[in-house]
Amino acid sequence: MNLTLKVWRQKNAQAAGAFVDYAMSDVSPDMSFLEMLDGLNETLQAKGQEPVAFDHDCREGICGTCSLVINGIPHGPDRATTTCQLHMRKFKAGDVITIEPWRAAPFAVIRDLVVDRGAFERIQRRGGFVSVGTGHAPDANAMAIPKRQADLAMDAAQCIGCGACVAACKNASAMLFVGAKVSQYAHLPQGQPERFRRVLAMVEQHDAEGFGACTNYQECEAVCPKEISVRVIGEMNRDYLRAVLVGVE
Amino acid sequence: MEGDVVSVQPAGVAKVVARLTQSSLGLKALVAVTGLGLVAFAFVHMAGHLQMFALLGGQEGYNQYAHKLQSLGALKWAARAGLLALTLVHVIATLKLIARNRSARPIGYASNHWLTASVASQTMRVTGPILLFFIIYHLLHFTALVVSAQGYEAMEYMLRDGSNLVVGDAYGRMVQAFRDPLLTVVYVLAVGLLGVHLAHGISSLFQTLGLTNSTYRPALATAGPLLAGLLTAGFAVVPLAILTGVIQ
Repeated sequence: MNLTLKVWRQKNAQAAGAFVDYAMSDVSPDMSFLEMLDGLNETLQAKGQEPVAFDHDCREGICGTCSLVINGIPHGPDRATTTCQLHMRKFKAGDVITIEPWRAAPFAVIRDLVVDRGAFERIQRRGGFVSVGTGHAPDANAMAIPKRQADLAMDAAQCIGCGACVAACKNASAMLFVGAKVSQYAHLPQGQPERFRRVLAMVEQHDAEGFGACTNYQECEAVCPKEISVRVIGEMNRDYLRAVLVGVE
Repeated sequence: MEGDVVSVQPAGVAKVVARLTQSSLGLKALVAVTGLGLVAFAFVHMAGHLQMFALLGGQEGYNQYAHKLQSLGALKWAARAGLLALTLVHVIATLKLIARNRSARPIGYASNHWLTASVASQTMRVTGPILLFFIIYHLLHFTALVVSAQGYEAMEYMLRDGSNLVVGDAYGRMVQAFRDPLLTVVYVLAVGLLGVHLAHGISSLFQTLGLTNSTYRPALATAGPLLAGLLTAGFAVVPLAILTGVIQ
């Protein structure tokens, strides 16, 4: 099928970007979205032009590297799907597809569609871990955790840190991300000693990075490729207020 | 800036205040708590007005109620100061959040999509300011008696509760006001917008305060719009009853 791509091109963080139109012909519906972009880049390189820079790594939906806002929706029109797992059969011949980078002040564009997600890394460094001596691996089931709690922790831990929640949020808030990172430990015994310090430190870093605040639109949940529930935001809110008002000793 | 999770220290009072008034979650909590206070007031306010109906009070009952509120003295002024404070914190915290949110996305998208957000949530920034202007107008109208209030000052009523006190005829003023279709439309539209604002606000504030769980989350999603609708209906029924002659 034939398509028109409107792709955001930007030389670097300082340069002003603009959309450039590319006509694509003979796109197979079985191609993944990124394979389609690979095709575009091969054509551009053959013509001696600069290929479109975009992030990708595992291409099997688990690493969180690919991004792209496709026709206004992070990771494109499919629910619970990363860009790399999106296929061209979701589009019709003749479609005009707009491709933009994640838009948020803390996610500066590095080049074209690639943004700097170091802000997530810095939030993680403030509390996305438990500081216990690890030693050797404990025996399985040495620490009994109720199934329901394990499930809640695991659901939150599905987060691959791709940043689609920020991209979709009208306030460019990273609350679903921070909520997931807070919630995954709040349900486990290993997370308890640092539970309230963790939420204070991570929210402080979230704010310092310049992300917006949550308005409970729930757009983040709708685009999350791992279907993280806004439940984690409610849990983070509760733990944060408890940490602020009751305090950490 | 502190280091990682290990180095977070117990905070002084100043830090607690800073977290509540500067952090994104603290500001949101302030908006939610003040919103809850204002919603509670709105329900009492609405229930009070239902005494306009003859069955629940009528002219005598409503004027007695109004007089009772007016004679609360210091308590009345404390309540007014409290409501003013709730409103100011609600508005200022929201403005600070909006400024933060704006700067978080300096460059927007070429194509903008809403996927799941309710119309009520999308229009909070429109309904909020309109309601603020309406509340100011409403206070100038029925409390200060300076806007659309021709002849209100002269309307008096003698209580028949044995005191024979001559008080302002709050009942009569309201009846006169809402015999005017234009004023009725303005008020009904305003309480309609209040309902839209609270359809999102009531559900949302519980999430913001973390007062949700798997049981309450779906219930709250329904309860918000339901309570907001109830409030709108309770407010709107009085002017509509006056316009249609049910209350005379």
